[in-house]
Amino acid sequence: MVGPMYDFLANPLGAVRSTFDKAIGSESDPSSFDGKDWGAVDLFRHFLFDQARLSQVPILNGATINWIKPNTLVRFRGMIQDMLGNELYVGAYKDGSAWRTNKFMDISQCPVEFNSPDMRLWDRRLLYCVPVPGLSSWAESTSELAVNMCMDSTSEQRDKRRRMDIEVLDHNDFPVPGDEFEYSPSAKRMREDPSPSQYLDPISEGPCSSHVILPDVDRDSLPCLVKIYDSPESELKLNDVFEFVGVLTFDSEPPSEKVEQDEFSNGLCDDVSVNLPPNKVPRLHCVIHRKLTGYDFLQNAPPTEPKPHLVKEAREALLRHLTSILGNDGVAAHFMLLHLLSRVHARADNVAVGKLSLNLTCISKEIASVFGTKLNIVIKSLLPFTKCIPLTMEYLNTAFLAPKKDYQINRLIPGVLQLAEGSHLIFDETCLETGTLDAVGIENTRLLKALTELQKVEYDFQYYKMEMMADVQILILSEGKSNILPADIIMPFQPSSSGSSDVVPAEVLEAWRWYLATVRSLPHTIESDMQKAVENDLVTARQADRSLGSQDFSRWLTMGRLISASYGETSLSLEHWQMVKELERLRIDRLK
Amino acid sequence: MASDSSPGRNNNGPSSPDELASSPIGNTYSSPATRTRRRRRSTTPLPYNTPPTNQSRFATSESTPTTTPHRTRHHVSTPSSDGGPPLSSDAGDDIDEATPTFVWGTNISVQDVKAAIQMFLKHFRDGQSQGSEIYEEGKYMKGIHKVLEMEGEWLDVDAHDVFDYDVELYGKMVRYPLEVLAIFDIVLMDIVSLIQPLFEKHVQVRIFNLKSSTTMRSLNPSDIEKMVSLKGMIIRCSSIIPEIREAVFKCTVCGYLSDPVVVDRGRIGEPTSCLKQECLAKNAMSLVHNRCRFADKQIVRLQETPDEIPDGGTPHTVSLLMHDKLVDAGKPGDRIEVTGIFRAMSVRVGPTQRTTYVDCLHIKKTDKSRMSAEDPMELDNCNGSRRIEEDFQLDEAKIQQLKELSKQPDIYDRLTRSLAPNIWELDDVKRGLLCQLFGGNALKLVSGASFRGDINILLVGDPGTSKSQLLQYIHKLSPRGIYTSGRGSSAVGLTAYVSKDPETGETVLESGALVLSDRGICCIDEFDKMSENARSMLHEVMEQQTVSIAKAGIIASLNARTSVLACANPIGSRYNPRLSVIDNIHLPPTLLSRFDLIYLILDKADEQTDRHLAKHIVSLHFENPESTVHDVLDIATLTAYVSYARKHIHPQLSDEAAEELTRGYVEMRRRGNFPGSSKKVITATPRQMESLIRLSEALARIRFSELVEKHDVTEAFRLLEVAMQQSATDHSTGTIDMDLITTGVSASERMRRENLSSAARSLITEKMQLEGPSMRLLELLDELKKQSSFAEVHLHDLRSAVTALASEGFVVLHGDSVKRV
Repeated sequence: MVGPMYDFLANPLGAVRSTFDKAIGSESDPSSFDGKDWGAVDLFRHFLFDQARLSQVPILNGATINWIKPNTLVRFRGMIQDMLGNELYVGAYKDGSAWRTNKFMDISQCPVEFNSPDMRLWDRRLLYCVPVPGLSSWAESTSELAVNMCMDSTSEQRDKRRRMDIEVLDHNDFPVPGDEFEYSPSAKRMREDPSPSQYLDPISEGPCSSHVILPDVDRDSLPCLVKIYDSPESELKLNDVFEFVGVLTFDSEPPSEKVEQDEFSNGLCDDVSVNLPPNKVPRLHCVIHRKLTGYDFLQNAPPTEPKPHLVKEAREALLRHLTSILGNDGVAAHFMLLHLLSRVHARADNVAVGKLSLNLTCISKEIASVFGTKLNIVIKSLLPFTKCIPLTMEYLNTAFLAPKKDYQINRLIPGVLQLAEGSHLIFDETCLETGTLDAVGIENTRLLKALTELQKVEYDFQYYKMEMMADVQILILSEGKSNILPADIIMPFQPSSSGSSDVVPAEVLEAWRWYLATVRSLPHTIESDMQKAVENDLVTARQADRSLGSQDFSRWLTMGRLISASYGETSLSLEHWQMVKELERLRIDRLK
Repeated sequence: MASDSSPGRNNNGPSSPDELASSPIGNTYSSPATRTRRRRRSTTPLPYNTPPTNQSRFATSESTPTTTPHRTRHHVSTPSSDGGPPLSSDAGDDIDEATPTFVWGTNISVQDVKAAIQMFLKHFRDGQSQGSEIYEEGKYMKGIHKVLEMEGEWLDVDAHDVFDYDVELYGKMVRYPLEVLAIFDIVLMDIVSLIQPLFEKHVQVRIFNLKSSTTMRSLNPSDIEKMVSLKGMIIRCSSIIPEIREAVFKCTVCGYLSDPVVVDRGRIGEPTSCLKQECLAKNAMSLVHNRCRFADKQIVRLQETPDEIPDGGTPHTVSLLMHDKLVDAGKPGDRIEVTGIFRAMSVRVGPTQRTTYVDCLHIKKTDKSRMSAEDPMELDNCNGSRRIEEDFQLDEAKIQQLKELSKQPDIYDRLTRSLAPNIWELDDVKRGLLCQLFGGNALKLVSGASFRGDINILLVGDPGTSKSQLLQYIHKLSPRGIYTSGRGSSAVGLTAYVSKDPETGETVLESGALVLSDRGICCIDEFDKMSENARSMLHEVMEQQTVSIAKAGIIASLNARTSVLACANPIGSRYNPRLSVIDNIHLPPTLLSRFDLIYLILDKADEQTDRHLAKHIVSLHFENPESTVHDVLDIATLTAYVSYARKHIHPQLSDEAAEELTRGYVEMRRRGNFPGSSKKVITATPRQMESLIRLSEALARIRFSELVEKHDVTEAFRLLEVAMQQSATDHSTGTIDMDLITTGVSASERMRRENLSSAARSLITEKMQLEGPSMRLLELLDELKKQSSFAEVHLHDLRSAVTALASEGFVVLHGDSVKRV
């Protein structure tokens, strides 16, 4: 393929148009492009991935929205919070004798003769995306990095300083030079392009287009309405975390005067445009999207190959650190490590296989004040999405835990428990006092219980509830065994010191994050003779103690899997199985 | 509603034929909905010409309603070619003059469609009435007569009928609904005016029951302007919006009232000056609201039902536009199936985007997740459209599928597996519950005596044996299921309650759970914790299936034809093996005997089940669970299967089965009369006999068989025995030999044991002589282990196998030595 004829970053629509013209020239019938791509996406894919230019695409967030120009290529990382259905649009129309396309844009100068044969209606999906809830600051900073790389690609040192500066700066006095692109040679080419602006939105063509002032968009939670073209439905699911690359359209003008606001048009009219005015929520016409895993949030792309010695080193160091954080309670640290590695890897009937929620008991208010915050900080620095929820009576009675559908605005109102896959939650139950739960409180406790036991959250659609699968790691701090959140592992916490608060160097943290992300995604198997041995162990254990049930067995097997995974191994060995039994013995001893 | 204005049109029609011919939209005057549909078309007016319906009214004087294609000569008077029925032989003279007109943009000839519709309406006959009376009127002619009698405003047309009669017409109708339905309406009005010239209302056609229904998510641009059928749940209804149909203007200067101005393509041509010749004042006309004619309109939001939503998606919604009579036909929360036209409309926001909605033609309320409750005898087969709207109908393909399913040899096991698949083992309990779902035949003798067909089941068991989950599951599945907990139910709450109305002082009867679950299953949890008083109320319900009330001036007997599914813990919470079964359950025998099946679900230490559990869990963790999933029926199929069987299958006892029943019953009686057993075991009573009949009937129903066969009876006996652990009961003491309990033994396990038993038999036959020296069990075990398939046999297994043989009188077991006799 020849080099890019267009500046993909600054004028992506130019590329779309030229490929369309080319395709229509050879095909001549736009109906053959119904629900299909004509080669534009391939061009972008080539540009972004084969030429590895993805990092040059600016990331859209509350800060960058102020200086990113509309109709340029941007990236948005977020969680699909709601799906707003399909939208029909005039995909192609005949302008005189030539066909034009409206794909990847919102508004065009299309001659609107409704239902004319010179027009093709296509559809696109609307996804309402928000930044991933509970995103840790280290995972977020990638964006700033990308911005900086876009601005100038100087040394890492300056980069780091700059990043800190940005965090201090208010977004108002964030440097808003409209001419970063001057640095890139491609921007110049754009200027030379004979008709670059012809396809730009006429509204945003005005002089103020580069300085869109957002009245009330929270810097941290800039939502984005992503419009998806021609992709199978099963590819994008609710609560998935994606990176969308596409064309930004952002309407700074207040919506056109509300004519004919009668009930009829209101009732039929798209709720989207009413409730998500285009001047508040930017639109992204997605060209390419890819699913993100925890791995993608790591700063520098470290070696993908999990080298055994690296894994072992990281494991030892992390375990040491966890032990010292937990006041030299080694057993608790072991369980904590397993807990941090857990994820739901399969579901059968009602069982979420692979979850390992941890309940640290014997934690009074005082202990919680010492260790709780430390734990919180550590976990925040290790995992990409974390949240800490202090459970109080008032919280239980007032919080909106489950997402709820509001049919008035036809939107899913997010709840606390609408979380991305792999989120980590800390529930601090030590501040819970006696009191009365009202109806909301009872419903909330039921939800929490279902989340811990089944890894499911019931979304409230008013006329019925719908269960959504979740994959959330849950850590509970409580004085006695928590009954609201019945965890898999009850672990009496026995610290022998107040715990250290060493500052961990950034590179080490980085290595640990890499370790957790890598090891978590390892596949796992069991050899048949090992399987026999495990089965026999289970049967003898149950013969000896009738109270053991499927839950206990499940827990042991999960632990076995996680222990071998923590060593970077992919199949269960007898040694690790013995470790499971030993850990369990130590834990049971403490329970007595 | 349109009646006030139609006479006016009548007079106008002939006087100004030009106007009518040039604006065919006026024709659809007969159907407000159609007109609205067309109103939004921004294309040119439909270029086909159809004669004004009014004209045909004059034709009726000559052509009687019985003559076939009508409207012959009169059309010649219309300026353009007309849509006579060219296909009919009677109207052959018309063909020559008719130059075909086509629906714009298609190759559909208006005349062809018209003729096809006429043929369909006049000649379509139901499958069932075919052959019997050829001279009988067609289904829809009868329908039209009925509409006329009732002064109805619409005629429901089953799209399946259209398909059966004329596939081509069906195709055209689905692809070009706007045009075809307009013609449909015109033809219908023609027929109506033939039958009853002075019928004033306008009858519309409502199509329903399309061959294929679309899911909301698969609606795409190619469906626009097509007829679609969608299922979903109403989530929001707008208030009723009046839509102007005809406007009347009044001159503010002279007070002259204009003729009604009809809406034309969404606009009203407001006269700019007074129409009165003497006045002619400019801009003096103002709208007279109370003289205008309005139609109702409503916007309804329809949302996908939960079962159509794919994994990880949120429900889609679609706007529906309801007109006239359909307004308020459904309320939020209703599950409906709509037939309508999918349409797009430009939005004011951006000219490139389109909002979509469905113009509704027909609404049908559905609720598929539960079994249909009515028994066939209750269905007073009234023909007419109502029936279809209320009854849950299975289509042919589905019935065929169910029948295929029933022919499978393992259907019984398969259904068992499909019932509460997430509850592990307990196969025989599930079999019993399955029988309960299918039920036996209720019998009403001429003498007035009635026998219930409902099967009552009691589950007694140790805590934590998933009794409640089973109950919940059945409750979800069963028609009109009511779920109560024994603790929270009082006698009146279960049966019926007489209260005084605070305002009028009248006594009113309020139904309780049992009455409410008439023809359903009433699930009662914590049966043992129910008060004595409340429990005694159940006696009548469970045998006579009525609730009788005699208090406060009301003496009534209410139907409560319900199956009872109750569950209880044994006395002292855990089963005490030292007490007899009866003592453990601790319920009065009067009540106990009313349960057809009483299941003891005991949690017993058994290495075999432990191993099963261990294997299950290990495989859960280390294998891909998807690959190990059994082929189970989904809940919708299961309910459909059960409903169909309950409705259509009424098995009769075969002679063979009757014989087997008698034989088995006599044997059971004998066993009950074991010396010294007086009260400790459950003896067989006539009630048991009835239970057995019900169970065998249910088992035959499971196979969709009209005949109860011998093996059904055998299985019924087995179920009854297994339920009470009778095979494990020591009849002399009434206690259960814990070693013999086979609760939850899966089919494969039972098979294994049977194999072992037969292997032991052949081994003994081989190795030992009749009346010969005895042999030790261990030796036998060693012999057995030599056979490869029995390498893992335990002594304990062998012992039970030999015990079984001993009970047959094949061997004698003394301690450890086996002797052949």
